Amino acid sequence: MGVTQHDVIIIGAGVAGLTAGTLLAERGLDVALVAKGEPTACLSTGCVDICSLDHEPLHGISHLPEEHPYHLVSRGVIREALIRFQIIMEEMMLPYSGSLENNRLVLSALGTYKTTCLAPVTMAAAPQNDDDDLHIITFTGLKDFYPSYIIARRKNSSFSAYNAGVSTTMGLAANFEREDFLDSFILWLEKTKIRESKIALPAVLGLESAAAIVKIIEERVGKKVFEIPTIPPSMPGRRLFNALKDYFRKKGGTIYWSWPVSGVEKTKNIIEAVITPSEGRPNSLNAKAFILASGSFVGGGLHARRDTIVENIFNLPVFNPGKRDDWFDSDYFSLNHTIGKAGIIADSSFRPKDAPWENIFVCGGILAHTEVLKNGCGHGLALATGHAAAVSCIGYLK
Amino acid sequence: MIKTDVIIIGGGATGCGIARDLALRGIPHCLIEKGDFAAGATGACHGLLHSGGRYVVSDPVAAKECYEENIILRKIGEKCVEQTGGLFVRLPGDSKLYRDRFLKSCDKLGIPTEIISSTKALDLVPNLNPEIEEAVKVPDCSIDPFRLCMLNIVSSQKRDGIIFIRHKVTEIIKEHGRCVGVKAADQVSGELREIRGNVIINATGAWSHLVARLAGDEVPLTLSKGSLVITNHRLTNMVINRMRPSADGDIIVPNEAVCLAGTTSMAVEDPDKIRIESQEVDTIISEAGRMLPHFNDMRVIRAFSGVRPLLKSAKSDSREISRGFQIIDHGDGLFSIVGGKLTTFRLMAEKMVDTVMEHFKLNKPCETAQLPLEGQEELSGYPLAKRLANMKNIICECELVSRAEVERIIAQTGTRYVGDISHRTRLGMGPCQGGFCTFRALGIMQEKSIISPAQSMFALRDFLQRRFRGIRYCLWGDQLREEQLVEYIYLGILAMERK
Repeated sequence: MGVTQHDVIIIGAGVAGLTAGTLLAERGLDVALVAKGEPTACLSTGCVDICSLDHEPLHGISHLPEEHPYHLVSRGVIREALIRFQIIMEEMMLPYSGSLENNRLVLSALGTYKTTCLAPVTMAAAPQNDDDDLHIITFTGLKDFYPSYIIARRKNSSFSAYNAGVSTTMGLAANFEREDFLDSFILWLEKTKIRESKIALPAVLGLESAAAIVKIIEERVGKKVFEIPTIPPSMPGRRLFNALKDYFRKKGGTIYWSWPVSGVEKTKNIIEAVITPSEGRPNSLNAKAFILASGSFVGGGLHARRDTIVENIFNLPVFNPGKRDDWFDSDYFSLNHTIGKAGIIADSSFRPKDAPWENIFVCGGILAHTEVLKNGCGHGLALATGHAAAVSCIGYLK
Repeated sequence: MIKTDVIIIGGGATGCGIARDLALRGIPHCLIEKGDFAAGATGACHGLLHSGGRYVVSDPVAAKECYEENIILRKIGEKCVEQTGGLFVRLPGDSKLYRDRFLKSCDKLGIPTEIISSTKALDLVPNLNPEIEEAVKVPDCSIDPFRLCMLNIVSSQKRDGIIFIRHKVTEIIKEHGRCVGVKAADQVSGELREIRGNVIINATGAWSHLVARLAGDEVPLTLSKGSLVITNHRLTNMVINRMRPSADGDIIVPNEAVCLAGTTSMAVEDPDKIRIESQEVDTIISEAGRMLPHFNDMRVIRAFSGVRPLLKSAKSDSREISRGFQIIDHGDGLFSIVGGKLTTFRLMAEKMVDTVMEHFKLNKPCETAQLPLEGQEELSGYPLAKRLANMKNIICECELVSRAEVERIIAQTGTRYVGDISHRTRLGMGPCQGGFCTFRALGIMQEKSIISPAQSMFALRDFLQRRFRGIRYCLWGDQLREEQLVEYIYLGILAMERK
């Protein structure tokens, strides 16, 4: 068996895991991240929702039930985590716009509004009400974007279709990274006599350089340009992940990519190592502390059986909101599916409650009582708890 | 106002079969269906073309009818019946006495059987429980109920039959004590149509007592709920039955890429108020798992219930009620046809149309047992070879349905319903149950100006609610994972309004 030693090992490469990882790396710790695949962040809109229950997101947190994990993090730390995130994204050329004092709106591909707090700068010009007139650009054959959904809800809006020769989100995004492609696209835009004051596009403007591409188009066409998030594969989500991942590596972090954790070595009160299968022989990844950020069901941190819910790696005790029949409300749209409460209950030091090990910390979507959709706290909660769990871990290692 | 000779209410297998029979005998007719074809018991069954084996012990008359119809359908529907063959497997503890009675009765009714050893059975179906004592081979087949309805309708449409789907009969018009027509409301526009005819046939299955009441008539009916689950893999290439008296979860039927297992049997009152319960799902899985052990850890992609319209009987256990059928002449120009099975739909239609011919004093014999079903070439499904041939612009990743195929169906049928595309291509029938592709299919319909964005938003909401009803009781494991993703897409990324 191959044995590798680190200070801290983080399981999961989503926003929570990477937030914890970057913080630990910045503090000079030897930190490694084990990921079995792409995180659910890649499926997301890339927006950071903090709490949609109130116009002021930080105030909205006070409306949350007392068991919500946000309450484990002080307002000051939440703020610190979010500001740190903005600084990192600025450095990674993918700035986020928005203020921690007010929520803002992002236009969806159905023409509705999604409430968020921090949005990638490529969505900064998204209308905040129904008045703005938009010209929507679509791409011939693109299967995940239909401008008529939006036009039906907005008067003074129209659309044009650009035939790019490719028709997938990823294919278009890759092409936009090419200067000649971008140039022909802009020439076409200039020829299309656009009356409206803003131009909206599905989020395909580049794999990584979207912020720069939006700026170039705006300068040359002389109109505000913004992206509309699409269903997965979602470029803004992917860009967010890539930026955090690159920053983590830049700070000296190690990533074990595509390595699922298959076993754990532990004593009565210490986790010693996680085992991952790899080519030929298994690897033992040893560390002084572990941070579990493996996500909820979609991310693969939790698994629902017919009669119970389990945590996949350490078999930590899981809060199960009830019998299977009660996991879902009969109304699909109610957002009251109690399954959203399932997860690991953490104590104030972000250690899992009722688990015997002192060197494991949990954060992000795997936590219990998050109800991310209902409370509108996707990524915001991951940033806050990832940050706080890392701080707690540093305290333990001292 | 539309005038015709025979009005058929109900677009299940029976109603569609009657339309074909009338068409072949040259009788003008009009079929009215409140939802889509096969929306009732027809579409909520296993899709099993019975060999009769299931009923040989309890109901030999129904068993004989099943076998005779099985032979006819295999002949006239060569391309839409999958001749899988079936096994009755006897597990340790299952009565040998029942097996003896089963074989004796099959013999008497002329249903061919072959006793095979457990080793041989495992050769045929490697996923079988290796502990089975033995198996009996019977000529069970698999059939797609929706496609069967469509194929019957083709014959009607070719001979000027008038078909209204998504039209609900709201009134049976009576004049001088005779039923002379119906009023039917378009379920989309609300527009009311009047259709006049000399004879009205009530082929509405579990709803037939309600329809008969519109004419002041009664239909004695016992309703029995049966539930089924669908797995995302085809675990067997043969129909698997349990060698024991009918009980919960004793039939598994392969259909295209999936397997259906069921059923349960519970008396119900209202055909519109049924729902499956988790306990039924668990029972079906564990019973099916006794025959095919993999069933226990298979991903279940859908669980649903249908209502069997059974003839009223004094028997309290609905499993003991005859699967035979009955034609009721209400004496006022209305006829009801109730009971029966999917397998015997053609025979039911034949007898019904014979009655109508007698009523009209005409005598053209029935030809539905001799002439092959028309339209089998284009309606023989959308085989994998065809899917793999065109992998460009896939709209439904689960079932590999391309944009070109979706556009072709829209152009061909002018449909405003995603369901019509699904039934023809399997769009949305895979593991994500339409989570991704319905949004796209509706978007393409908008591009083609078939529906407005407002209509498609309505359709999308309606689809998501209905889809959820189908998967609500099988949400665990990977299916729950997929569901959480789909919920995130619609309520998170696409920010669909809650109301």
